[in-house]
Amino acid sequence: MVHLLILHALAALLAPALVGTMGRRAFLVLAAVPATAAAWAISHTGAALSDTPPAQVVPWIGGLGLNLSFRLDALSWVMTLIVGGVGSLVLLYSAAYFSARATALGRFAAVFVAFAGAMLGVVTTDNTLALYLFWELTTIFSYLLIGHYHERQASRRAASQAIMVTTLGGLAMLAGFVALGEMEYGSYSISLLVERAAAGVLGGGTLLPVAIALVLVGALSKSALLPFHFWLPAAMAAPTPVSAYLHAAAMVKAGVYLVARFGPGFSGHGIWQWLVLGFGLGTMLLGGYRALRQHDLKLVLAFGTVSQLGMMVAMVGHGSRAVALAGLAMVVSHALFKASLFLVVGIVDWSVGTRDLRELSGLARAMPVVATTAALATASMIGLPPLAGYVAKEAALEGLAHEGDWLVLAVLAVGSVLTFAYGLRFWFGAFGTRAGVAQSVARYSSGLIVLSPAVLALAGLAVGVLPGPFERVLAPHADTFPGDAGHLTLWGGLGLPLAVTLGVFVLGLAMFRVRDVVERLQDGVVSVPSADSLYRRSLRALENSAADVTAITQRGSLPLYLTIILMVMVGAAGGAAVVEGTLPEAIRGADWWGQVVIAAFIGVTSILAARSRRRLKAVLLVGASGYGMALLFSAHGAPDLALTQVMVETITLVLFVLVLRRLPTYFSNRPLTGDRFLRMAMGAASGLAVGAMSLVAVGGRRRIPVSEYLPEATYDYGYGRNIVNVILVDTRAWDTMGEISVILVAATGVASLLFLRDRAGIVDSARNRAHAETTTRVWDDGSPDLTASLRETTSQPGWLRAPGRGRHWLAGGATLAPRRRSVIFEIGTRLVFHSMVLLSLYLLFAGHNQPGGGFAGGLVAGTALIVRYLAGGRYELGATIPLHAGHLLGTGLAIATTAALVPLLLGGQVLQTAVFELTVPVWGDVKIATALIFDIGVYVLVLGLVLDVLRSLGAEIDRHGEIEGMSDDEVDDSVEVAP
Amino acid sequence: MTFDVSPSLTLVLLAAVLVGVGVYLMLERSLSRIVIGLVIASNGINVLFLIAGGRAGDPPLNDGDHSTMADPLPQAMVLTAIVITLGMTAFLLAMAYRSWQLNGHDEVQDDLEDRRVVRRAARDLLSRRAADDSGATLAEDARVTRDETATDGAAR
Amino acid sequence: MTWLVPLPVVIPLLAAGIALAFGRRPNLQRLIATAALTASLAVAVTLIIAVDAGPIVVNVGGWAAPVGIALVIDRLSALMLAVSVAVTLAVLVYSAAQGVADKGEGAPVSVYYPTFLVLSAGVSNAFITGDLFNLYVGFEILLAASFVLITLGGTRDRIRAGTIYVVVSLMSSLVFLTALALIYAATGTVNFAQLAIRLPELDSGVRLVLHLMLLIAFGIKAAVFPLSAWLPDSYPTAPAPVTAVFAGLLTKVGVYALIRTEVLLFPGGRLDTVLLVVALVTMVVGILGAVAQDDLKRLLSFTLISHIGFMVWGVALASQTGLSAAVFYVAHHITAQTALFLVAGLMEHIGGTTSLTRLGSLARLAPGVAILFFIAAMNLGGIPPLTGFLGKLGLLQASAEAGTPLAWTLVAGGLVTSLLTLYAMTKAWNMAFWQTAEHEPEPRPLPRSMAGASAGLVAMSLGLVAIAGPLVDYTDRAARDLRMRTPYIQAVLPEGEYPADVYNEAWGERDGEG
Repeated sequence: MVHLLILHALAALLAPALVGTMGRRAFLVLAAVPATAAAWAISHTGAALSDTPPAQVVPWIGGLGLNLSFRLDALSWVMTLIVGGVGSLVLLYSAAYFSARATALGRFAAVFVAFAGAMLGVVTTDNTLALYLFWELTTIFSYLLIGHYHERQASRRAASQAIMVTTLGGLAMLAGFVALGEMEYGSYSISLLVERAAAGVLGGGTLLPVAIALVLVGALSKSALLPFHFWLPAAMAAPTPVSAYLHAAAMVKAGVYLVARFGPGFSGHGIWQWLVLGFGLGTMLLGGYRALRQHDLKLVLAFGTVSQLGMMVAMVGHGSRAVALAGLAMVVSHALFKASLFLVVGIVDWSVGTRDLRELSGLARAMPVVATTAALATASMIGLPPLAGYVAKEAALEGLAHEGDWLVLAVLAVGSVLTFAYGLRFWFGAFGTRAGVAQSVARYSSGLIVLSPAVLALAGLAVGVLPGPFERVLAPHADTFPGDAGHLTLWGGLGLPLAVTLGVFVLGLAMFRVRDVVERLQDGVVSVPSADSLYRRSLRALENSAADVTAITQRGSLPLYLTIILMVMVGAAGGAAVVEGTLPEAIRGADWWGQVVIAAFIGVTSILAARSRRRLKAVLLVGASGYGMALLFSAHGAPDLALTQVMVETITLVLFVLVLRRLPTYFSNRPLTGDRFLRMAMGAASGLAVGAMSLVAVGGRRRIPVSEYLPEATYDYGYGRNIVNVILVDTRAWDTMGEISVILVAATGVASLLFLRDRAGIVDSARNRAHAETTTRVWDDGSPDLTASLRETTSQPGWLRAPGRGRHWLAGGATLAPRRRSVIFEIGTRLVFHSMVLLSLYLLFAGHNQPGGGFAGGLVAGTALIVRYLAGGRYELGATIPLHAGHLLGTGLAIATTAALVPLLLGGQVLQTAVFELTVPVWGDVKIATALIFDIGVYVLVLGLVLDVLRSLGAEIDRHGEIEGMSDDEVDDSVEVAP
Repeated sequence: MTFDVSPSLTLVLLAAVLVGVGVYLMLERSLSRIVIGLVIASNGINVLFLIAGGRAGDPPLNDGDHSTMADPLPQAMVLTAIVITLGMTAFLLAMAYRSWQLNGHDEVQDDLEDRRVVRRAARDLLSRRAADDSGATLAEDARVTRDETATDGAAR
Repeated sequence: MTWLVPLPVVIPLLAAGIALAFGRRPNLQRLIATAALTASLAVAVTLIIAVDAGPIVVNVGGWAAPVGIALVIDRLSALMLAVSVAVTLAVLVYSAAQGVADKGEGAPVSVYYPTFLVLSAGVSNAFITGDLFNLYVGFEILLAASFVLITLGGTRDRIRAGTIYVVVSLMSSLVFLTALALIYAATGTVNFAQLAIRLPELDSGVRLVLHLMLLIAFGIKAAVFPLSAWLPDSYPTAPAPVTAVFAGLLTKVGVYALIRTEVLLFPGGRLDTVLLVVALVTMVVGILGAVAQDDLKRLLSFTLISHIGFMVWGVALASQTGLSAAVFYVAHHITAQTALFLVAGLMEHIGGTTSLTRLGSLARLAPGVAILFFIAAMNLGGIPPLTGFLGKLGLLQASAEAGTPLAWTLVAGGLVTSLLTLYAMTKAWNMAFWQTAEHEPEPRPLPRSMAGASAGLVAMSLGLVAIAGPLVDYTDRAARDLRMRTPYIQAVLPEGEYPADVYNEAWGERDGEG
């Protein structure tokens, strides 16, 4: 059976191209596809009706119990015939129905065929999950088909309504299937489930009825039963062929199919009886009642369909063998006559140009063939002999009478009266002559378009006159229900059923006679809130509650988000620490007296920093506390930390100053509001929580740390005496590699935020410098230069000149605004710069054994750069390293990562270190660990970081300043206003 | 190596204070204050690592006895953390500058879309396109829905 | 095989370095980036196959765990690695074109590719590391990179959104770092395997504190309610490919970390009930947020949060089926969500906006995009046979298996969520594709590689459907390993907690194979 599905899929994929080339005639070709399914079913009739129906299993996802298993038993056989037969007939019809110029026919054809395939899957699969799969696919395809004319709001709304309602039911059904599958003795195989349920071995206890109810919700929603019925009439916004196929013959039958499929197993349960009969019969009455009120022919049929779906569900789910047989007969005959009727309405619409029965008149004469077809189909619908509908209804009455189920019988009778009434109303409304209405003209006629409805109607007649074979194909499934066998016959003999039928005819006729009275009566009835408006209101409610909830949870305020996070931390983790935690046995006051002093210093400076309203002051205080940290580290026995901390703190300080020089002097003024006290409280709470947690955590220590290995190991294998450095460049070099990539990214990020005006950023090369010396004055605030005259006389005495160099100590010096220059500073820089660079190199190479290493070294070199910049301005910076910072950063990372990879090539581990002994003249023997290469990478990269940051936050901000000094527009173009 | 992890109360208090102050500042709206808060808070957490490492000791250099040596592993971790913080600080500062450049201040404003939703929630209204429902009845809809049949090629 | 393990991190980093050094030559950069990611994809796929023989362990620098850093590939990390690298590559291809397409994106070209590569390296690092502190470093890598990417161009919106993102992320890092300090204080180690041995020895009080701290740190990254509010405010403003890769990967790294925490570090499921409730609330609140949005990108961001709930649900069930479903769902969601954001980018490219109230007529203007969006949207909505359905199905079965009232509540919540997801998706479809736009944009050509990359991702999610059978078996095995814990621990610590020799000095001879 899989091959049939594949066929449908391929056809669907090819359909657009086909329509593109052949136009609407492509439908004639595509009609063959569903036909094959029907033909295939017929070719397997014998096996299908036997006790061992043909089956096929394609394992797919065993882990989830989802396998594509198929089984063509009697029920599936019948449904396949309906799905395939009606499908191909409707496709034939479409070839004539649609205008050759109709839009998106290709898409329509594709989705239509795909739907046929999905439907085929629904009725043939034997796996609940696969059933759900195809079930949802039909939902999706019907969504697309209903929304075919998506420019119309009606179509869009109907489509969304349909998909929401049916998916709601579908999901419930899925839950039910999962429950049935996971419960004791449960299974995902339909046949097994039904078997075990019928045998009563299915476990689950209270879960079972719930599962059954959930599955039925799926069926009810799909077959448009109360309270989900409203989506079906709305779905009439779809093109008429869709209404005929999906919403009369095929998809809406899926629910009926499900009930018929599971009935033999579950119809015994009370919940099943209540839902199936209650909603089924209720729907039957409601649908019929509403159908009497409609004027649009499609709507008449739509509500009629709702009504009869209700009836069919009630019959096939009734649970007794005879009634089930009748129900199945009903399913077949309904598929035949209702599809035919929809197609007929389509023809009327197509030919006359309206579907409103108040505007139609005298069509019986205008289009006799169509009228006869319609007459046949209608007759079958209202149950006139000798048509299929009659046979089915008789059997139903017969069976119910036999079962003595008088209530259901009564409701069925009433429903039939309504059916009779709206049936006549439909036919006479469409084809009868209406007083005071002009004779409608049939502008078009076509043999092809009449073919399909005629065939369907005649099939209904054939089935009616030959009830014998009809019964033989339906009986096998009906027999799986308990109870006495029923029969399909034209003449059931005199008896109650016959009487009821006659009564129905009489009353129905009478009701049709007085239809105007009935309509007025219906208008008079106070209109109860229709399910449709209920749906509308619930949607609105959903949207509103969604907005309300979101308004609460999503305030868009950063401080609030942080507060929430902190509250969770303090409340949960801190709370746990306080409640469940235990303090360590011993707590020292301090490691030594100095610790207290240092700690106090750090704490106080930090608090002051928090209190200060001047940016600069705050920054300086933070710096102070930072240096305090360095002190703390060194006193704690962490010289590397101390060294790094000092350098980092220095650079941080410079960064702050560089940026904050442009920002307002004071933090924006915040009065001492409650909000501030809240923040204080939050801070205090967090601090306390962290403190408490640290005590608890330390108290929990049971084992000695892994670092016990490190001292020996670092020397033996890390070839270095400075353990921390060995850890950084060898033991945990992987961390360091990550860390430097963080730096690289951060630096580039800074650049990308600052160099928006000039994407790549430009180096302040000597070329621009020459230009700058004459024009720009770096750091010129434009105030009058008082010392200029002095400088005129005593500028650059000869003995101040650097030997062999140009006139200036610092190349960039001349670009500074004169009053920003400080000869002493320039000289000092000149002298100190190289020694700092040397120091940084020393730290780099000595790092492995002494405190130091790549980071410290790089940072020192960076500081040297900073000094140079501060003394000489940004052109000086450019002159110092005429390189793009990106080059340094990139090279650094490249070196480090290469150092990581090389050992792999040599057959070692990533980042593995080797050591070389070599003898340097004068110096003597030196051990060089290859880790040094990695450390060099670090050094270069850190240098790059400082350079990059200086260029961005230093030089670039200078430039912005100057630009603002000159003209604003250049700055503006760096400000990209968001779209 | 000193395996005595009994904590020094001084350090615990210091960590608590630093974290508290840091958090207080991070809850501000001014970015430059947030940065300062970040720096202080991370200092506090670095202190936590010192606590985790145990009692203060001699520098972890491979000479002399290891018995009095401070635990080097937390030091390495702190060093990593410090450097990472440096990078983050630089980036935040750049953001602060940029934000000042754009808005004339470095304060974090609230999210506008969220505000819009809040307003919408206040006045239960939904945009016409979102609702996409004119409230037409079935019959009214039925009158306008005609298929693109041969009779009229361009049905709308 | 061990030599392959570090490559998904080192190669992108090396490439990033080179790319940055060649900052002035974007085309070369693009070439390098694509090559690097393709290489690491190849590696990742090889690892998936190799890992079936058992976890692969690399002792970086030859330092045996627990002293050195161990890189560990087990089934979980191999799968995460492969999927994430594949998605990253697709996004890279996409963005390569977009950089050309939208000059307006204002990305300093010299910055984009290196940063993107570093991001990928960070994500991979988080997946392969067997060391908690290194996990922190991995997080910092991808965070730093994401900071740069989310503020690309430094427009007013991006700075505001970026600030929220950056500061919240930094807060989460602080929490994580605190947790690390506490954990080292309590156990004296940061090696996953050794922690798995030592943490259970601790008093329940200490354990609870550490457990909660980690959950909070990772919960923020994974965007779990109530720690999720930052996400929808920050993601949508970034350029489409950036949002896509963030949505696809960053939160999943958090989820991955949650899985490790729950299963490896803190077995016993003391907080499972809490997590189940959190999952439920995350699902529902998240999807309600999506329903309330009028902007496609924001809508998608909220669905992202909501569906994180599904994964947490699976993790919190803590059964094999539950974990398996969660892992499967992660794989599904990485592809599905990324694909959706990329398609949203296409729609933005054509319609000039992502505001659903202004978009429209796209079904007619861009049928191809319509198909892509519809498939991706249905996938997220959990429509069979797409992976969204399969993942959901697994979770439903796991819950039914658990059978507790709370589990069934989650079933209900999950179904409501997927119904509402479908509602939000159809609403977006209706507004952007079906309704006619008030002002129709003048047609713009769609760069082929942008469309191609999006189509590729959609195709990938369909491919996952095709191989769903083997994939589910794989995730089942992965879940089994996770729950057993011993394979991981023994692979990392073959000689137990105290190796006789902490260093494998022998060059040439590969070590660490578990």
